[in-house]
Amino acid sequence: MISIVKKKSTRKTDWRVYILLIPGLLFVATFTFYPIVKMLVMSFFNWRIGYQQVSDFVGLANYKDVLSDQIARRALMNTVAYAVVTVPLQMIFGLFVAVLINGIKKFSISFRLAYYLPVITSWVVVALLFRYIFNNQGLLNYFLTDVLKVVNEPIGWLSTRWSAIFVAMLLGIWKGIGWNMVIFLAALQSVPKEYYEAASLDGLNNRQQFFYITLPSIRGTILFALVMLSIGAFNTYTPIAVLTGGNPAHQTEVVLTWMYFQTFNAMGKMGYSAALSIIIAAVIMLVTVLMFITLSRKKED
Amino acid sequence: MKKYKIIGVMALLLMLASLVITSCSSDNKEVSSDESVVIEFWHNYDAGAGQVEVLEKLIKEFEAENKDIQVKPVYLEWEALKNNVVSGAATGSLPDVLRGDIAFVPQFQSLNVLEEMSALSDYKDAASGILEAPNSTAKIDNIFYGIAANTNTKILFYNKTKLQGANIKVPKTLDELWEAALNVSDSKTIGMVEPWTGIWNVGPYIWSEGGDVLSPDNSTAEGYINGTVAVKVIQKLADLYEVKALAGPSMDPGAVGDTDGWASGTYALQLDGPWRENLNIDAGVDYGAIPLPAGSNGSISVLGGEDFMMFKSSSDAQKKASWEFIKFMTGKHAQVEMAKVGQMPVNKEALSDPEAIKAIPLLPVFSEALKSAKSRPVTARWSEMENIIATKVAEAITGVKEVKKALDEAAVEIDKLISESK
Amino acid sequence: MGGEERNMPVYLKNKHKISLSMSIRYLLLTAGLFITVMPMFYMLISSLRDNKSTFSYPPKLFTSLDKMTFENFGYILNNGNFYRYFTNTLFVAFMTVLISAVISSLLAYSFARFRFPGKNILYSMIISVMVIPGLAMIIPQFEMAVKFNLVDNLWGVILFYSAWVTPFSTFLLKGYIEDNIPKELDEAIYMDGGSVFTVYRHVMIPMASPAIAAVSILNFLFPFEELGWSQTILKSDEIRTLPVAITMFFQAHNRTDWGYVFAMTGLSMIPVIIFYLLLQKYFISGLSSGSIKG
Repeated sequence: MISIVKKKSTRKTDWRVYILLIPGLLFVATFTFYPIVKMLVMSFFNWRIGYQQVSDFVGLANYKDVLSDQIARRALMNTVAYAVVTVPLQMIFGLFVAVLINGIKKFSISFRLAYYLPVITSWVVVALLFRYIFNNQGLLNYFLTDVLKVVNEPIGWLSTRWSAIFVAMLLGIWKGIGWNMVIFLAALQSVPKEYYEAASLDGLNNRQQFFYITLPSIRGTILFALVMLSIGAFNTYTPIAVLTGGNPAHQTEVVLTWMYFQTFNAMGKMGYSAALSIIIAAVIMLVTVLMFITLSRKKED
Repeated sequence: MKKYKIIGVMALLLMLASLVITSCSSDNKEVSSDESVVIEFWHNYDAGAGQVEVLEKLIKEFEAENKDIQVKPVYLEWEALKNNVVSGAATGSLPDVLRGDIAFVPQFQSLNVLEEMSALSDYKDAASGILEAPNSTAKIDNIFYGIAANTNTKILFYNKTKLQGANIKVPKTLDELWEAALNVSDSKTIGMVEPWTGIWNVGPYIWSEGGDVLSPDNSTAEGYINGTVAVKVIQKLADLYEVKALAGPSMDPGAVGDTDGWASGTYALQLDGPWRENLNIDAGVDYGAIPLPAGSNGSISVLGGEDFMMFKSSSDAQKKASWEFIKFMTGKHAQVEMAKVGQMPVNKEALSDPEAIKAIPLLPVFSEALKSAKSRPVTARWSEMENIIATKVAEAITGVKEVKKALDEAAVEIDKLISESK
Repeated sequence: MGGEERNMPVYLKNKHKISLSMSIRYLLLTAGLFITVMPMFYMLISSLRDNKSTFSYPPKLFTSLDKMTFENFGYILNNGNFYRYFTNTLFVAFMTVLISAVISSLLAYSFARFRFPGKNILYSMIISVMVIPGLAMIIPQFEMAVKFNLVDNLWGVILFYSAWVTPFSTFLLKGYIEDNIPKELDEAIYMDGGSVFTVYRHVMIPMASPAIAAVSILNFLFPFEELGWSQTILKSDEIRTLPVAITMFFQAHNRTDWGYVFAMTGLSMIPVIIFYLLLQKYFISGLSSGSIKG
């Protein structure tokens, strides 16, 4: 007995833990830390990506360029707007669907699959589909002008900045509902049934049970989803690239599409792109930390 | 649950093993054995038009004649072709031969990856059999960084049915073209389409009216891109856009793409290249084509096409083999074969070959246009400059900014670029 | 409502509840279904149509049956290397799921249960990796790939994909473990003389299986849609993955063979759907958390 107790108290610094830990850390460190550090370094240089080219150290010049660039600022604003709208909405819809599906008995699998379909379709293809639907001569305008006859001329959904971003938001929400549904279903499963039974006995109805039992129990998952989706929203690339390509005249750029453009189309601005990436990362980290601080509480029961 | 652990361990071992194996394996660029040199050829020949098939046939013929060379073709989509050179430049992970858009030449040159082909001993000989104008797209500061592979230019395509239906004669001058665009537009038709707003698109109009983009020595933009002629031309385009006689997906992401628009009868006029012919045939459009109607300075269209390029990162043996391959591909036989699948030849002999002429019915029209077509400035940071121009012109056409203001801004930014690269 | 129902026989009470709230649920779910599925439906229709008529105006949502054809699918399956692309992508997907599942579960377990020097810093670093998308680091990553000889090699995508998805998987799993797997289970194993490995094998893996399943479904999907990195690394035709193959249909000059694109996309979705169906039962499997609390 005594020897086992001793084992228990020393397990926290057990060498075996390091065996669990090290392979994973090495892997992540090699494949992700190194590139990130390299990016950081690149952002302080006028980094030349050519063959056997030398780069000059420019200090904070790239950062100044980014922050004073009108298009970069616009891209940041577009990205923030996109995130602020799509993240909460897809979580709400996803949670709603998860709750609904959690409570039904038949066809559960079919419903789950159907809602999950947008998630497992490539971004490129669904963005193309949406582009077709919202085209000046697309499905939606067709319905509005020829079928329902509520407008005379087709509406340029994708022609102006905020309207196009609105379409991108719809796309983002539509595609994300199934993802959230999957995450929340897993979380809902883990809420012990006894909680609900006890609550029913106490006279709480379904709505109250949802707010007082369900939501608090999946608080951790909600936070994770929030953080993950926010990060994902800031890293949006494909939907904008396909829907508008950042056009007209870079009005609808988001930070990632603009960074990509500067890297591959501008040919000389790798330092700029690196600085932009670092700035984006800093912003996301700030947002994430804020979320953690305000929403997370001690989990020890 | 023991099996999870076993699977996990196996997976890790597998991963480590394969890492070791791949590190020990040979260099990612093909190692040439003593007998044969392997060269990697990146291209974006159109598989749908049968060009890839012809390429493979030609490669086989080439390899049969040159038993010590193996050609490994890699298809990359247009954008990926450029991006992969960009990402591979620093490490020298580059092909040995590349056939890419002429616009790539200055871009790749700024990455310091292109081999100076004019330094090759028989370059002059090979180039003498090639049309001069297309080949000039590979020349920067009197050094050739490539050789023309195929060429094209833009001519005016028009939808016969639509023009006849609106009683419009085929335009003979640039002004008549604007009129035609205006008059053929109605609720379901938009007269003209321009997919982009770079010099590739608006250059012909500016040049045909006597203006230009940069000074003749490419040292200044001020006074040219924002000169009187350019402002007048862009203003005309802005006017057309406002009354929905002009549209395009880069000015308006909601607009129908040009190919889809031709097929659905949305567009009636477009200045476009030879691919438009086959696409219209596929779509069943009754079309006609003439060289760009002349402006006050003549009919000057823009030169397009692809060039062959070689890379500094290749070994000497690979460079030698690559040059042999390029000479073959720019020879009469290969050029005629490619002509049959839509690639307009640059080889002078091939151009007058009856088979080639039969394969490209519009060849006479294009040849006519090629005589006066002008290449876009081939200068170090041209791609950045064209991007600036495209943005500002789009802003001007869509009415976001006044034309003069937008073009002035473009001139300022371009001049700044020019002074930076000195 | 509450009081009387408590006195009613159970079967009647349940029946009453089923008819009202259940039907509302089904109604809402079905309505949402239409919105969700309509674009997919359109894609299916387009893949069955002749290439040229995909984007005609006025747009046709429904096609008369006689115009439908499987020729697009036929073309994809018979020409080119579809099967090769397909198996490549499957291989990448399986390996990515495997590697990230193993590594993220190991990391999540370590971070969730133990204290060790530098723990918080390490954890923040791993999480902060999520913040930069893999695509933004394309230039430095490519340099690495060249150094490790991973260019033009499927492992060049597998390893990087795994690295990109591991932080998120770790994040989720750690939270799941902390929320739902009580330490008492660990203690029970220790008291029986087991080590941390035993806990990992007998407690963590089985109990975290819903979360592992959830992240695996997402990780499996990733190689089927990621385009930027795969295009950079995979150059030879024989090792291309499906997303890269689909871009071959985006020919120059705006002529896209939509029928082929949609057909290939449709076919690509099948393994993902199957994988999802296989794993989704883990969401239903009962968990033991309830029994412990009770």
